[in-house]
Amino acid sequence: MLLLDYQNVLIQSVLTERFSGAPPAHIDQTVSDFDGVIFHISTPETKTKIQVSIQIRCYKDLLRYGAEQVLNREYGPYVVAPEVGYDFSVLVDLENLPAEKEERDALVNKIALLKRNAMAAPFEQAYQEHYQLREEASKFTSEEAPQGVREGGEVKAIQYREEEAIYVKASHDRVTVIFSTIFREETDRVFGKVFIQEFVDARRRAIQNAPQVLFRNDPPLELQGVPGVKNTGTGEIGYVTFVLFPRHLTPQRMPDVISHIQTFRDYFHYHIKASKAYIHSRMRRRTADFLQVLRRARPDSEEKERKTASGRSFKVGS
Amino acid sequence: MANQTPAVVMDNGTGFSKLGFAGNDSPSFVFPTAIATKGPAAGGGGSGSGRPSVANKPSFLTGGAGPGGHLSAKRGTEDLDFFIGDEAIAASSGPGYGLHYPIRHGQIENWDHMERFWSNSIFKYLRVEPEDHHFLLTEPPLNPPENRENTAEIFFESFNCAGLYIAVQAVLALAASWTSSKVQDRSLTGTVIDSGDGVTHVIPVAEGYVIGSSIKSIPIAGRDITYFVQSLLRDRGEPDSSLKTAQEIKEEYCYVCPDIVKEFARFDRDRSRFLKHVVTQPGGRQVTVDVGYERFLAPEIFFNPEIYSSDFLTPLPVVVDGVIQSSPIDVRRGLYKNIVLSGGSTLYKDFGRRLQRDIKHLVDTRIRASEVRSGGAKSGGLEVQVISHKRQRHGPWFGGSLLGQTPEFRSYCHTKAEYQEYGPGIVRRFALLGGPGGS
Amino acid sequence: MVRLTAASSQSLRPYLQAVRSSLTAALCLSNFASQTAERHNVPEVEARTSPEVLLTPLTIARNENERVLIEPSINSIRISIKIKQADEIEHILVHKFTRFLTQRAESFFILRRKPIKGYDISFLITNFHTEEMLKHKLVDFIIQFMEEVDKEISEMKLFLNARARFVAESFLTPFD
Repeated sequence: MLLLDYQNVLIQSVLTERFSGAPPAHIDQTVSDFDGVIFHISTPETKTKIQVSIQIRCYKDLLRYGAEQVLNREYGPYVVAPEVGYDFSVLVDLENLPAEKEERDALVNKIALLKRNAMAAPFEQAYQEHYQLREEASKFTSEEAPQGVREGGEVKAIQYREEEAIYVKASHDRVTVIFSTIFREETDRVFGKVFIQEFVDARRRAIQNAPQVLFRNDPPLELQGVPGVKNTGTGEIGYVTFVLFPRHLTPQRMPDVISHIQTFRDYFHYHIKASKAYIHSRMRRRTADFLQVLRRARPDSEEKERKTASGRSFKVGS
Repeated sequence: MANQTPAVVMDNGTGFSKLGFAGNDSPSFVFPTAIATKGPAAGGGGSGSGRPSVANKPSFLTGGAGPGGHLSAKRGTEDLDFFIGDEAIAASSGPGYGLHYPIRHGQIENWDHMERFWSNSIFKYLRVEPEDHHFLLTEPPLNPPENRENTAEIFFESFNCAGLYIAVQAVLALAASWTSSKVQDRSLTGTVIDSGDGVTHVIPVAEGYVIGSSIKSIPIAGRDITYFVQSLLRDRGEPDSSLKTAQEIKEEYCYVCPDIVKEFARFDRDRSRFLKHVVTQPGGRQVTVDVGYERFLAPEIFFNPEIYSSDFLTPLPVVVDGVIQSSPIDVRRGLYKNIVLSGGSTLYKDFGRRLQRDIKHLVDTRIRASEVRSGGAKSGGLEVQVISHKRQRHGPWFGGSLLGQTPEFRSYCHTKAEYQEYGPGIVRRFALLGGPGGS
Repeated sequence: MVRLTAASSQSLRPYLQAVRSSLTAALCLSNFASQTAERHNVPEVEARTSPEVLLTPLTIARNENERVLIEPSINSIRISIKIKQADEIEHILVHKFTRFLTQRAESFFILRRKPIKGYDISFLITNFHTEEMLKHKLVDFIIQFMEEVDKEISEMKLFLNARARFVAESFLTPFD
């Protein structure tokens, strides 16, 4: 597996099964997703009504940036009052599903993308701000543009994990997305540095049209004065900046870009862990080789492998 | 953040892996413990019934990797190109991928594959950041402590998991039976009958610790029942006698009867007991298969193995009785009183009732004989109770889910900090979860 | 303490040769009962209770980052290796690898569970080892270990860089 999925696999498989006409059954599952998101899939009243609720730790931040509108737009008729303890709920009636299979599949996917859609709100807002600012900026040459247009919109902070946040800022020629990252472990920190360096270099070397990636150990200029951003001076928090250029900001590409950039942190951590797993398997291999060499030092360890007619082998100590 | 996230419960068995979150009553994912990697399959890998590999060194040293292996593919990304579970089975039927089963006989044999299997389980299926979650894993009885250490090494060093607890499957199966109304005290003493696809184990557990010397295995389990059904279908010349059909018939219609001779007579008296099973063959053609005596004969091979096998002839109740008799005398009463079923092949209707009756019969016969020998002394009798419950199918997983949601679970886990302080040896000991003093 | 210093670059072969000769010479062990505790037989180089049975330790250094310390005694010899670590990444990888090995010290017989301070990995060979194993093969093992550890570390580092590049490009390509 190279890239992470955008949707929640469990929700997807449960709903696909239910929608395909399987006999209604009682469901009650609490499952987790990345970044401490918790889903609750249940059939609270009858077996034919499936409710999916989501709990996101940064839901307050998201509401401030228009999550409610985005979610209402996406799930309109399915939205119900949030379940107690959760932030947002949708309810699907199995007896009242779209008739076409394609539409049903689309609905499954849409619900499986609940987390993505909730997190998309600030990004969508930044896109809109960018369009507005571009409109205004086009009326001026760059020097005489009013202060507001040159500086761009306000920074949107989403504290999506306890120690890490995403910051989004729109300006007339770009949208900047900044991830603050922290590593609790030394190995991860070192590996992370190697990975980040390649993110920074990738654009220069191979993919000219990719967003520009910058990395620094102190808060970048954009984040000055943003509440909650502290310059600890120790450099243990890193800031990864993605600069999205107009070519990434077209309305057609918006959904994909937003889905993709959201997965950055988990993708990054997944690959650090996968590399460690690979290094483990190398070390196992090498350790076995070393043992082989050491075993040669034992004169009595000359074991002979013999084979029977049927091809089974067995060992005979000499 | 780790304070609110549910614990992840993973029960990796020889055939199937059960993954999910603590607090739920069923696992979120159940799929084969299989991994499909680039290149051909390991020799004989497949059914899981292959003969044990002859290793000249313990697998935790070699990782089970064959010669050649990874060093040749130094800079490649082959290690990311793999599938697990059902996707692995699908991929392996196409070209380019070989199928491997990293767990054999309950124990992890190929650590390279297992590490990647876990990685994909966590990131693709469960979708959690392991740093935020505590993990509850299971192991078979008599798992070498080195295997535990290797597991800890992977979970703490590769995945940085927040906390880890490794429990013995049989103990979790006992905990799972607490949901049954028959269980009054939540004790961790009992006999677990764990019957999956490949093999059936009878495991005595005293106060949460497995009595290793008394464990017995029976080479009759789900797969054998399927084969037996299939052979009966073939003998009758049914239009469809594929393994899949046999399995469907087994799962849908089979039950355990109190007495085979009477059951034959009842079938002959009442023709409505013969059923019809409709099979849709590939291609859309539908055929009807008669379902007859195999309804009660198939599970009967546990109680009368001679009708199926010629080299294993001890009935299950006798094995269970033998296991308990070979356990220390002061726990036998508890072992008889709490015989817990676990695994898919114990789900037949009335399986527990028949087992209880047969064991009771053995015990009572013995007691009567000793009463006679002692010349007039009266025994107080011995309570035999076989416990069936709703969560039997994924017993160990459910037990894990139950214990993983208790408030004290986290304090029983070893944390990453402790691991770094003491090293992998720390996982050789875990405080007993759900034992005396727990809630 | 005797100190041999080989010229820095292109010096791997003489360096290993020096280690090989010194080791072969030092691996001259005999059974020797403890003089301080009755009916005990302990590796003197570890116990350090009888100074007269300890021989002069020897350091063979290829440069300031790579050196081998050989501490001989009458019935045991301790070999400690400092593995080359040019940067932070190599440091982490060496640390991970040596820990992985010491975790499996049981199977390695001669591997010490804890390295001597200032070194990355230590071996302890006693007269019992030399009695049941071939001496020159033990030396072969140490030499081969030294060669391959360096190779493995640099290969792992190459892997990490290649993987990082691949991962970064794969993430950024969809934006293209």
